[in-house]
Amino acid sequence: MEFQLEGKPSFAYIHVDLAPGETFIAESDAMASMSSDLDMKAKLNGGLFAGLMRKFLGGESLFINEFSNNGSKSMRLTLTQGTPGDIVQKELNGDSYFLQPGAYICSTPDVKVSIEWAGFMSWIGGEGLFRLKISGNGIVFFGAYGCLLEKEIDGEYIVDTSHLVGYEPNMKLKQQLSGSLISSLTSGEGLVTRIEGKGKIIIQTRSISGLTSWLNRYLY
Amino acid sequence: MEIDIQLRPGSSAAKISLATGETLTAEGGSMIAMSNDMSLTTTTYKKNKGGVLKALKRMVSGESFFMNHYEPGPNGGAIYLATALPGDMMTMELNGQGLVVQGGSYVASSHDIEIDFSWQGLKSVFSGEGLFWLNINGTGKVIVNSFGAIYPVEVDGDYIVDTGHIVAFDETLDFKITKAGRSWISSMLGGEGLVCKFNGKGTVWCQSHNESSFGKIVGPKLRARK
Amino acid sequence: MESQATEIKKGFDFKFEGKPDYGYITVKIPASETLKVEASAMATMDTNLKMKTKFKGGFSRLFQGESLFINEFTAQNAPAEIGIAPAAPGDVEHVYLDNEAIFLQSSAFVASGMDVKAETKFQGLVKGFFSGENLFLIKCSGQGDLWFNSYGGVIEIDVNDGYVVDTGHIVAFTETLEYKISKVGGYKSLFFSGEGLVCRFSGEGKVWIQTRKVNPLAWWVHPFRRSRKNN
Repeated sequence: MEFQLEGKPSFAYIHVDLAPGETFIAESDAMASMSSDLDMKAKLNGGLFAGLMRKFLGGESLFINEFSNNGSKSMRLTLTQGTPGDIVQKELNGDSYFLQPGAYICSTPDVKVSIEWAGFMSWIGGEGLFRLKISGNGIVFFGAYGCLLEKEIDGEYIVDTSHLVGYEPNMKLKQQLSGSLISSLTSGEGLVTRIEGKGKIIIQTRSISGLTSWLNRYLY
Repeated sequence: MEIDIQLRPGSSAAKISLATGETLTAEGGSMIAMSNDMSLTTTTYKKNKGGVLKALKRMVSGESFFMNHYEPGPNGGAIYLATALPGDMMTMELNGQGLVVQGGSYVASSHDIEIDFSWQGLKSVFSGEGLFWLNINGTGKVIVNSFGAIYPVEVDGDYIVDTGHIVAFDETLDFKITKAGRSWISSMLGGEGLVCKFNGKGTVWCQSHNESSFGKIVGPKLRARK
Repeated sequence: MESQATEIKKGFDFKFEGKPDYGYITVKIPASETLKVEASAMATMDTNLKMKTKFKGGFSRLFQGESLFINEFTAQNAPAEIGIAPAAPGDVEHVYLDNEAIFLQSSAFVASGMDVKAETKFQGLVKGFFSGENLFLIKCSGQGDLWFNSYGGVIEIDVNDGYVVDTGHIVAFTETLEYKISKVGGYKSLFFSGEGLVCRFSGEGKVWIQTRKVNPLAWWVHPFRRSRKNN
């Protein structure tokens, strides 16, 4: 299977070239174009309950599509996400990673995507009570609005909650006030996330909430 | 006429340099900036040809009723054009062959290009995306835009493109609206619904993203309208 | 005016990423120094940065859509890094002001050094009102770094004689330029071209233009908004 990640960071999309016998999984409505000989099958990923959890809590689709090449030559599938923005390709080798809900796009069949309880503090921070966990072996693509930047953390770091996309499972997250009580209210920063640990985090340089608060001023 | 498309594929603008005597025809509302002595004339169709009927037909395709014609001063000039939404732009050179362009994707063209409404039959109505098309013919350059990055697909046989992802295609291709998966249930549950299946030999220019998907994500989060 | 490509290093150490669509600025603040940043633009920061909020006063700011607050971030005991992300999708640019002035469109200010003064200038009813844009510009002057943002990508234009820019596409321009709002083309064009009014610049200086403007985006998104239900 070969991948070409194009259009970064403004309108990132993925060309997947499947060899005969190969299968690729993508969330609903991710297909932009594809070879007409590819077989596409809609499935509930992990059963009805897991699917419903993924949709209502995880921001993902209820069904996923399984694309299979049951022919004799290479076939192309082009996948995208609903929002403009960046996409990151990640290889998993038995390890796992946490993602903001809605970030998962597609992956090879042995990657598992599940919902995890993120804790009340995460909810207060505006991130929601749940997060996505990707694990297993294979290649996974995830994306978000904005440009995705990887940052190595060793110690402590502060991230505005709406800009955090992914982090390592061993990292500790805590919500805190951005400044003094008055400052936090007036600064526009509010609550922020304090990350402690060692590893890579992924941040997005724009957020949908930032986009809507900017655009709201111009609406009639 | 020299066209330089900058800041692709997300914030693209077309910089068109014109020599004296050359005219650029553009859709309304797309000028960012231009040389001081550039002149603008607005008509319903070509600079010296009217055409209210043609203008009405263009509106059905999602274009504006009026066309703007820019002509530089005695020392030539340059103009920057933008589009309404974030996205890509591309220049196509036509030498007599025809191009079918999705309504709303036309930006500008050189003077000898003909633009007309293209009736694609009931396919347009049933695609669910409200697809309408323009026939572009003649000799010269055409600038098209997209929501998303533009990528080409060389078709030789059959190829499937999701209905909201088509920018333009060679006149030599034909398409029909069909289901994406093997079964109707699969297509609907999989979220793909109806798609366009192209056949023949030619190029389809696709856009990586889909406006209505983005609108449905952002719209509900904005201040409600009265 | 020196833009980012200058050889001589003055002011803060910084880097841009995500240009031109989702521009992001990472600034290194030396120990005990302070950076001014517009409210809610901080995306990431080191834990030793202390934030203080200043009310930037004046009712004029209320009307121009820019928030009333500026945050001051001071690096305590050690140098610190801050990541700045404006809310609007688009570009970020930098100039180093050397006792000169630049006018910014009212929502373009992102960050600056402490010795850069930012004051709102009322454009006057005629210029402001008919241009369809906000009534205010921000005049930045003094000595130090200034970062500003746009909606869409930024193109820098050197003006030698005159230049015409659609009012919704202006991000910033140097004080050395004169400007006048007028119509482009004849009266038929005014009403039908979709172009509206333009700004005619004259003199010598620089204009920064943006490749998108916000009104078409607002019109496009309108049908996707929820409607308020009447009681």
